Amino acid sequence: MELKKYTRLSLFIALSVVLNLIESIIPIFNGYIPGLKLGLANTIILFVLYTYSFKDALYVSIVRVFVVGILRTGIFSVSFFFSLGGAFLSIIMMSIIKKISHLSIIGISIIGSVFHSLGQIIIATIFIKTNTLYYLSWLILFSIPTGIITGIIAKELIKVFEKIDLKY
Amino acid sequence: MNKKDLQLIIVLILISVNILFGFKIVNQKENKKAIVYYENKEILSIDLNDKQEKTYEVEGYNGKVKIVSKNGKVKVLEEKSPLHLCSKQGYISASYETIVCLPNKIVIKIKTSNNLDTIVK
Repeated sequence: MELKKYTRLSLFIALSVVLNLIESIIPIFNGYIPGLKLGLANTIILFVLYTYSFKDALYVSIVRVFVVGILRTGIFSVSFFFSLGGAFLSIIMMSIIKKISHLSIIGISIIGSVFHSLGQIIIATIFIKTNTLYYLSWLILFSIPTGIITGIIAKELIKVFEKIDLKY
Repeated sequence: MNKKDLQLIIVLILISVNILFGFKIVNQKENKKAIVYYENKEILSIDLNDKQEKTYEVEGYNGKVKIVSKNGKVKVLEEKSPLHLCSKQGYISASYETIVCLPNKIVIKIKTSNNLDTIVK
């Protein structure tokens, strides 16, 4: 069982890295509000959080940030710390809110998306020392549709994997 | 999606719209200056009360960065970076807006005589 779990988890890390790279090519999210992304990698984190545990989701999320850092942005660069802060805050808040509230997976996805932006903004304020509250309001507004989209994808993913696990 | 999700969405929309409108009211127009920073050091100050179009050039980390000011607004015209985020952003004019050019280590902020930070705090 352990072997199956770790194989799956490493598969998910690879998937989330690829989704992260694909997403940076999609042009509509690459212009007007810098930093705005669909957050497709969050579907994988949500899936792991729902089917495995908080610990495994944290592990997948942090390893993903490091691998993307090596591949794209350069490790220990400023944008690396942005995504580390965002990923860390979002996974912690998602698991806390999941325990204490009755939100469905879509609500949890929105929470994750909002706190991902918030974590990035906090790191940005530390690095650049600028007034970012105005910018945060736009990010919160846009994280609602992107959160709904990733939530629906994660929900369908869980359904599909339940069927696969019954088969094998 | 259940009722709780909808409540969450409504609360989030209210929060962000509130912040946006709060900033719209607070935004002042007198004595505006755009200040250009390189590695957190002030290198250029542009007077935005001037209505004529003016072009400035500063030295960024990857080379020259062209900045245009016009009618109380300021934007980055040309710069060398992989994604060109700061030149795509266009004009900024309010004291809460900033242009950040991370590859060039350039930050442009707008300062007014009425400082927003004191009101927000």
